[in-house]
Amino acid sequence: MTVSQAYPVETFSNEQLEAQGLPTLAALALTDISPRYRIVNISLALFITVLLSAVVVVLRLQPFFMLPDPLLSKFPFVLAGIIALGSGWVIYHLLADVRIKYSVREQDLNLQSGLVFQTLACQPILRVQHVEIKRGPLARLAGLASLQVFSAGGALHTFEIPGLPVERAQQLRQFVLDHKALSAK
Amino acid sequence: MDNENIATNDAASSVSVETGSQWQRLSVIAILYFTFSNIKNLAQGLIYVVPALAVTANVTDNIHSNGTYIGIAVLVLSTTMSGVVSFFMYTFRVHNAHIEIHHGVFSRRFTNLPFWRIQNVKIEHPFYYRPFGYALVVLDTAGSASEEANIVAVPNDYAQALKKQVLAFNAQNTAPQPEESEVDANVPHGSDEVVLNRRSITDLIIHGITNNRVWILLGAAAPFYDDVFSRISGWLASKGLQLNQLVGEQTIAWWQFGLYALVIVMMLMAAIALVSVGGALFTFYGYTLSRQDDRYIRRSGLLNKQEVSMRASRIQMITAKQDWLDKVLKRVNLYFEQNVSTQQHGQELMSPNKLIVPSVTEAEALALAQEVMPNSSYQRHDYLSISKRFILHWGIVGLAVPFALFVTVGIITAHLDIVVMSMSVCLLLLVVIGLRWWRWGIATDQKHIYVRRGRVGVDYLCFEPYKIQALVIKQSIFMKRRKLASIKFVLASGSVTVPFLPEDYVFSLADKVVHNVESTQRSWM
Repeated sequence: MTVSQAYPVETFSNEQLEAQGLPTLAALALTDISPRYRIVNISLALFITVLLSAVVVVLRLQPFFMLPDPLLSKFPFVLAGIIALGSGWVIYHLLADVRIKYSVREQDLNLQSGLVFQTLACQPILRVQHVEIKRGPLARLAGLASLQVFSAGGALHTFEIPGLPVERAQQLRQFVLDHKALSAK
Repeated sequence: MDNENIATNDAASSVSVETGSQWQRLSVIAILYFTFSNIKNLAQGLIYVVPALAVTANVTDNIHSNGTYIGIAVLVLSTTMSGVVSFFMYTFRVHNAHIEIHHGVFSRRFTNLPFWRIQNVKIEHPFYYRPFGYALVVLDTAGSASEEANIVAVPNDYAQALKKQVLAFNAQNTAPQPEESEVDANVPHGSDEVVLNRRSITDLIIHGITNNRVWILLGAAAPFYDDVFSRISGWLASKGLQLNQLVGEQTIAWWQFGLYALVIVMMLMAAIALVSVGGALFTFYGYTLSRQDDRYIRRSGLLNKQEVSMRASRIQMITAKQDWLDKVLKRVNLYFEQNVSTQQHGQELMSPNKLIVPSVTEAEALALAQEVMPNSSYQRHDYLSISKRFILHWGIVGLAVPFALFVTVGIITAHLDIVVMSMSVCLLLLVVIGLRWWRWGIATDQKHIYVRRGRVGVDYLCFEPYKIQALVIKQSIFMKRRKLASIKFVLASGSVTVPFLPEDYVFSLADKVVHNVESTQRSWM
């Protein structure tokens, strides 16, 4: 089957928004991911920070054995460091996760993300090798999933939409799998 | 560029390839191959253990004890025996258009390769086979260049006949190439090869000088540094130069010390260059790059003759790399890159994913690039430069904080030389950043995208936009305010980034490229 038989010119479309006829990435209609994603990440960050601080405080205040002197004097710095890093982590997720948006067009998937460095990644479905749905334990509790799309660009450039509601992730996966253009080439 | 035809071996047609349904043993000379490959595997594993062992030997001070001698003897004996054992455990047969091999010592493996699955047949001649007229046949199956089987030792005639038959079998049974591939009408079809490039010894010496791959050797020599340094300082002392005097007491000015250090570094670099030249000669001796139908084949090797081949349609990108020394000598290293495989990180020279043409002249590189990607020309005048904000960005992000730190330390401790040195280092780094800004540029024509980059030497990258896997546009909040953006093209061979371009140029290029990929639906392989 030649290219023109598979995609006759009249029926090929990819959400033409401009009068010139070429669809444009600058004017994508982006959808938010689930707000639960941010909550999950912040909770995880808070939990780990509190846990580590608790461990440090307990070590300092416990009556069972004496810590060596240099460690004792460093204690406030260590605690302050943990709290600073933890709050930085929480603030990052507070601000950044709400900026993750995605868009599905007829021929590609797009993801916009980033706080200081905003990236817009475009993955043509033609180049998709396979699709996976990834769910960590916390994501499972929150009813979220992450859609991972692999191309031949290598593991470093895997396209991933995090924080999707499970049904939406499965819907998208099915959309990609059913797509006419999907092939191993 | 020569245009010779490599004659096919007529005697090969008279040798029958079928071995019948009986299982064959290899020729006895295979023992040599197995022994060498076992030693090589052992060495590759040991190269990480040797520094650790050397350090323990140093510390425990028993390198000449009986234990080590026995250990070494056991090692040598087991490697020789392993060659013999592997030989007895290997049987093969070629029957009914299938190649079947039983091999493996501890884990027995049965490989069954039908002819139609074999993409390419490579014939290699390790140096210990050459006096006896034997060859190693490597069968290449998957499209991702992972070798699956090899027939370890067969006579030369048989190897040629087998190759011819397998390739002929596949040529009959595969569909003809789609019309996207541009077939040069002047190239005769059939098994003739056209040689595109040869490298002379001078070229290889130049390549050795300009490419230093001896860092692993340096790492492996680490346990001996103590010895080496004490010998060198002893030699210098006999010539009247006391190193301790230089470093310990402040009897000389810091600039004199710097000069001495520079001289020593240059001597070291000359020594490294010599070893590197040897390595280049070893790997690239007798280099030929030839084209056979739609394949590019590189053959080279002094002791072990090896070949790497790549189908033209699998070439993702052409890279012409030139570092500062290459620029002085006006040479370029040309790479044809196909898809990345996750294994074999360190073997860049022999990697099946990159076909390298070492140290060609700039004109030859351009001609070869035009041969592989017709109608491309990466030497052009319309490269779009990146914005000067690149210098500002890296100046602030990379240099400002360390510079401020060193200057304050210098001022506080009242050591003027620290301040001066940090200022000169910063200035040097700014010059390098400026050079990098100057070189970076992007250009497009009807069928290709070109990227130019580099510092002192200039690299050119050329690829066809329909081959991209994905595309990423990146903007920091500062770049957004200035209407700048970076674009990254993800190809199967790696990614190409051009930063700090005008925002509307980036978005319109991205739209065009994405439209190209999605509407033409061409295969990237």
